[in-house]
Amino acid sequence: MTNEHAVRLACADVLAMLSDYLDGELAPERRAAVEAHLATCDHCTNFGGEFGAVVTALRRTLGTTSDVSPDTGERLTQALRTK
Amino acid sequence: MGDSLARAQAGDREAFTQLVEGHRGAVFRFARHLTADTASAEDVLQETFITALQRLAEYRGEGSFKGWLFAIARTKAWQQRRLRRGEPETWEPVETLETLARDAGFGSPLNPEELASRVEQRALLEAALARLPLEEREAVVLRDVEGLSGEESAAALNLALPAMKSRLHRGRLHLVAALRKEAGHDE
Repeated sequence: MTNEHAVRLACADVLAMLSDYLDGELAPERRAAVEAHLATCDHCTNFGGEFGAVVTALRRTLGTTSDVSPDTGERLTQALRTK
Repeated sequence: MGDSLARAQAGDREAFTQLVEGHRGAVFRFARHLTADTASAEDVLQETFITALQRLAEYRGEGSFKGWLFAIARTKAWQQRRLRRGEPETWEPVETLETLARDAGFGSPLNPEELASRVEQRALLEAALARLPLEEREAVVLRDVEGLSGEESAAALNLALPAMKSRLHRGRLHLVAALRKEAGHDE
């Protein structure tokens, strides 16, 4: 992919690649193409920022606490003890 | 964890207990996000580890142990959902990524303070997650909440990697839109 192609990337193309971009799974040329588009498109930059903020908040906000209550843990222990 | 696993596979119940304690929180979270019901999630939790105990010798180390557990939990969660009746889907499917992105606020950004406040609210994020179609929700939970790799998530969901990525991407877009709806920004 050439730089000329990169600057022509459309918003729809960037939207389709946003997850792979965020996850670091784009090939270098495609990553450069996305970044070239973001440099000139406020809509995609703003949306990408919100998209990324929500995705990265999931683990921080929901993935770090254990929801297993002591009672639930005890019932699990008892259930396994009988097996 | 690898040592506990080897000992558990050799029949050491104390080692299996260590595995349970190391993974039960994640399995319970996953189950609760899939069933949207604490009692059902508890059933899934118990059934997952009972099945894991019974089938432990079948785990050959292809993929992570955590991913193997999540695959069992997913099967149990779907069984729980099938046991329950009258559970309508709350999401109207949309056809294109552009439509999804528009629903998610493309072109009408939140101010940074509002965005930052919103993503730190656990109840708001959980409610938004619960709005996702189940097939997308399980991909988002495995990848983004539990931190599994793309390959691990795909294996746990019994999907090829591109199919998992497609569900994940649509799920993330749905989530951004759902978060706006939950916060009353868009109706």
